[in-house]
Amino acid sequence: MWLWFSKLGSPKWFYELSGKWLPWLVGAMIISMTVAVVWALLYLPPDYQQGYTSRILVVHVAVAGTSLAFFPLMAVAGTITLVWKMKLADMVAKNAAALGAWFSFITLATGSLWGSVMWGTWWEWTDARLVSMLFQFFLLLGVVSLRSALEDPDKAAKACALLSIVGCINVVIIKYSVEWWNVLHQPSSPLSVNSDSPNGPEFWIATIIMVLAVYLFLSISLILATRNEILQRERRAQWVQELVRNS
Amino acid sequence: MSSSNPTATAVPDSENQQGAVMLSGNKLFCERDDRVLFQDLDFNLHEGEVMQLRGSNGSGKTTLMRMLCGLNDGYKGEISWYGASVSEQAGDFYHSLHYIGHRVGVSKVLTPVENLRWSCSLKSEVDDQLIEKTLADLGLRGYEESPCHTLSAGQQQRVALARLLINPMKLWILDEPFTTLDPKGVKQLEENILSHANSGGAVMVTTHHKLNIPGMNVLDLG
Amino acid sequence: MFWTLVKLMSTDMSRSSTSVAFRSTLKRDLLIAFKKKNDIANPFMFFIIVVSLFPIAITPDGDRLAEIAAGVVWISVLLASMLSMDNLYRSDYEDGSLEQLLLSPHPLFFMVLSKNISHWLVSGLPVVVAAPLLAYMLSLPQEAYLTLIASLLIGTPILSLIGSIAVALTVGLGSRGLILAVITLPMSVPVLIFGTLAVEASVGVGSPAGYLALMLAMLAASLSLAPLASAAALRISIS
Repeated sequence: MWLWFSKLGSPKWFYELSGKWLPWLVGAMIISMTVAVVWALLYLPPDYQQGYTSRILVVHVAVAGTSLAFFPLMAVAGTITLVWKMKLADMVAKNAAALGAWFSFITLATGSLWGSVMWGTWWEWTDARLVSMLFQFFLLLGVVSLRSALEDPDKAAKACALLSIVGCINVVIIKYSVEWWNVLHQPSSPLSVNSDSPNGPEFWIATIIMVLAVYLFLSISLILATRNEILQRERRAQWVQELVRNS
Repeated sequence: MSSSNPTATAVPDSENQQGAVMLSGNKLFCERDDRVLFQDLDFNLHEGEVMQLRGSNGSGKTTLMRMLCGLNDGYKGEISWYGASVSEQAGDFYHSLHYIGHRVGVSKVLTPVENLRWSCSLKSEVDDQLIEKTLADLGLRGYEESPCHTLSAGQQQRVALARLLINPMKLWILDEPFTTLDPKGVKQLEENILSHANSGGAVMVTTHHKLNIPGMNVLDLG
Repeated sequence: MFWTLVKLMSTDMSRSSTSVAFRSTLKRDLLIAFKKKNDIANPFMFFIIVVSLFPIAITPDGDRLAEIAAGVVWISVLLASMLSMDNLYRSDYEDGSLEQLLLSPHPLFFMVLSKNISHWLVSGLPVVVAAPLLAYMLSLPQEAYLTLIASLLIGTPILSLIGSIAVALTVGLGSRGLILAVITLPMSVPVLIFGTLAVEASVGVGSPAGYLALMLAMLAASLSLAPLASAAALRISIS
């Protein structure tokens, strides 16, 4: 178990293994992404309440679901960085923060696109999910900017690890308190809460495929970014220099 | 790079009666920004020993001292306190350690007495009389109640050094303690270091001064 | 309750007890604060000025002000506490006292807590005391005063405790004002939500007790967890 763990932490091992996996992952992503996008955006029947707008939701729900995974991922990576001082965990965490910020941004963008049709407004404070996603976006930007502010990479790694753990706890508290806040302000809102979940099994199957595609996209981006990071940080290691020479 | 150091072990025990090994480093390795500061560094600091860390600028003297104090954990290897790892006996270790770094730990707003009341209370209970007597011994009589920003750098250094005399601790780790002191202060500190070693304490010190301390050992970082 | 906890922790240490170190750190920080009066006065003045800008920018109309009064006070408190946070570890970092604190034999948790408490006493408490006056100027209904004070009394220590983590993480940086805001402000959202909800509840129908209880729970959680995170952050920043 420990041997496996320390092997997993070795950047070289990760680099080689991920190199073998990448073609499969990319292939799976291309297939599922094509199926989901074509189906969802071209063939999905209009929802009886929302019409064709529900097609945006397929993308939105998938991206939103994925972006919720970032803080837990970063908190786990941060714990590994702080406790076992594993370099690889920090390389993943570093890229996860920026990627997470992008995912949150796309969630907000697709959400407000959908809202602009359904609610007639691009931004709606009475939607708790949008509001808490906004604050998650801010928190992720905080992690990114802390990383870029600290010059010493070791210190930056540990500081961001700690901030990710604190942020992960905080995101949960923010989510529940915003929901609470929202429920209390609901009577003044013209919207009803349950008007936004479309019906029909096709919608959910398309969404599930889309979620799969987005998760694959996320893993591939993370792996590629981490491989870059490995080459950069291990540039003095013998295996990296051999790799560069042979390529 | 300097490996396990010949100078540190080659110097024979001189008139200083050396006791048990107090602090030791085993295969210490440290790199900063892809540059190896030191590797395979071994040393033993005995009771009653004064050890000077020597090395050119950027050779890692301050880094090594901060590692030994536990302020910096970016290293590989083992640091032990009386044979066991420091982290297992942190309470005991920090009750035996004085560290004075480049930033001496003297608040500019407070007076010397107020500064010492605080920093000494972290280690043991102290009375004001002892503080005032020590300040007077260090030539700061009359400055007890002036805020430290009115004091010169050398005087602030003396305030920090007063901690060594007020709280008796076994291990002193002093990073460039002589730089701002005048010749009289240098001599006084040398005497303090010597008498500390003679009473069984250990001192690790960095300096570019030529020290007049008989029986001092040298650890050369290159 | 607190002192017994401190004493409990220190029973095994014969040489210098943690409670002595705790109190002496508290005393020292208060002393420094009173000697550097600017550091107390400026955030306080900032608080009062920001609050008085709102009526000018929004409306002088008392009825409309009453609606936003709680929010205005709370946001100004948040900004003022963030401004004052910067002092918490900076001068100690610069003069090396922070290293001495880290090298003390006592649990860093209590040392950090002591610094947080003294910081709150000089920066949080004055704001709480001044709040009713400002609430009056914003024509907050009278029945809400007590709740406002109570919510500030519970909420401002939470802000200090959370802010302390971010300050500790950024203490080594040259210019940290803005990054501090980017990190801390989103984290303060829950306090802001329950603080303002409590005041609103005491004006309209319902009781603020539930919100205050929730805030108390948040205070208890941050009292026990935030100093741990701050201590870890200080160790990272010092290394």
